[in-house]
Amino acid sequence: MNALILTGSPKGRKSASFTLASKLAEGLRKNGASVCEEPVHAGLRTDEGTRRLLEAVDASDLVVPVFPLYVDSLPAPLTRLLELVAGRRAGVASESNPRLAVIVQCGFPEAHQCDTAVGICRLFAERTGMRWAGALAMGMGGSVGEDIRRLPGGGKHVIRALDMTAESLAKDGDVPAEAATLFARPLMPRWLYNLFGNLGWRMQMRKHGTRRPIAYRPYSQE
Amino acid sequence: MKALVLDGSREGDLLTPVAVRGVVSALAGRAVDVRHVALRELAISPCAGCFGCWTRTPGECVIEDAASDVLRSYVGSDVVVYATPVTFGGYSSELKKMLDRFIPVLDPRFTTVGGEVHHLLRYRRYPKTIGLGTLPFPDPEAERLFAGLVARNGLNIHQTVESTVLVGVADAEPARRSAERLLDRAGVTR
Repeated sequence: MNALILTGSPKGRKSASFTLASKLAEGLRKNGASVCEEPVHAGLRTDEGTRRLLEAVDASDLVVPVFPLYVDSLPAPLTRLLELVAGRRAGVASESNPRLAVIVQCGFPEAHQCDTAVGICRLFAERTGMRWAGALAMGMGGSVGEDIRRLPGGGKHVIRALDMTAESLAKDGDVPAEAATLFARPLMPRWLYNLFGNLGWRMQMRKHGTRRPIAYRPYSQE
Repeated sequence: MKALVLDGSREGDLLTPVAVRGVVSALAGRAVDVRHVALRELAISPCAGCFGCWTRTPGECVIEDAASDVLRSYVGSDVVVYATPVTFGGYSSELKKMLDRFIPVLDPRFTTVGGEVHHLLRYRRYPKTIGLGTLPFPDPEAERLFAGLVARNGLNIHQTVESTVLVGVADAEPARRSAERLLDRAGVTR
C-alpha cells in the first residue's frame, strides 16, 4: 500500500502539522505501508515540484493531507493543490481510486471549528472519485509543537488516536470513530489554553523586541 | 460609502466574472465607491504562518507584496464582497491566498464569541462582509458548506454575514438582480 502524506503547513518541519504527520507516517510504516511525505507549500513553488506532487497523488492508494486550519478552511496552497488534482482527474480518466483521509489542527480550543474544512475535503473526495476515509480534527493545535510527548499527559490520547488511525488505514480501513473522539479531546481546560495563548503572544513580542503595542492599528482611519 | 470586491475567479472561469459585474453594478447603483480587485492578477505570497503580523510588526504582515494594499483597502471599506467559484464548498485558491493574509486585522489575544474562542478585534469597525459564490450546476452540499464557511468567517470579525450562490448564471442582468437582493439582505442601503 502506497501512502502519501501531504504536510499543509508553510512552517515545514517546525510545524505541528509536520509533527502529527510524522507520527502517522511512523504508524503506517510499522503496519507495512510504503510512505511518501511531501510538503505542499514548498512543492507548489516550482513547476517541477507541482508535477512531483501530482504524480505522487496518482501513484498513491491513500492520500492524507495534514494541515492547520487557516481562516476556517484549508491553507491556500493546499486549496490550489486540490484544484489541480481535480482538474487532472477530470481531464484524464483516472485508473486509480485512492482513499483520502485528513488530519486538521486548529489554533482555537474547539475541535469542531475544523468541521467546515473537513467537509470541504470530504466533498473534494466525492467529486473527484476518491474514497473518503474520514478525518481526525483537534483544537488547541498551538500546543502541539515539535514533540507530541511534551503535551499534557504525555500526549497519550493524541498518540493513541494516530496509532489507531495508522493501523486502520494501513489495512484499507477508515479513520476509527474512537480515534476521532480521542484526537478531538481537549488537551487542557479552555481557560488555561487561553491564558497560555495570551501570555505566549506577549512573550514572543518581548523575544522579538517589538516596540509597537499588540493592539496597534496601522491602517486606522480614525 | 466604499466597497471592496475581492474577485477570486480563476483563469477560464466564465461564471464568477459575471457575478462580479453584477455585484459591482448593484453597488454602483447605491452610490458606492467600488474597488474591484482581480486577485489572480496580483502576486500575493501564501501566508507563512509565522505570526509576525501579531508579534513582530503588530497589524502588518512581514511579507511585502500586493496584499498590504488590499488589506489597507479592506480596513477602509464599508462593504467587502468575497466573490469566488465555490470550490468543493470553499473558496477558490485565488481568494483564499488573500484571506489567509487577513489575520493582521485581528488582535491575537483570545476572546469568546458565540460560545467559541476567537480573536479580539484590532479595529473599532470592520466592513460588512458578503459572500458571493458561483456554481455551474446545483450542488446543495457545496452550497451548504459555502454558506457555513462564510458564516464562520463572519464570527472571526464578530459579525453575522450574508451569502448566496449563483447557480449557472451567465448573464449580467440576472446576476445584478441577485446581487441587489443579497445587498438588501445584508443591509447595504440604497
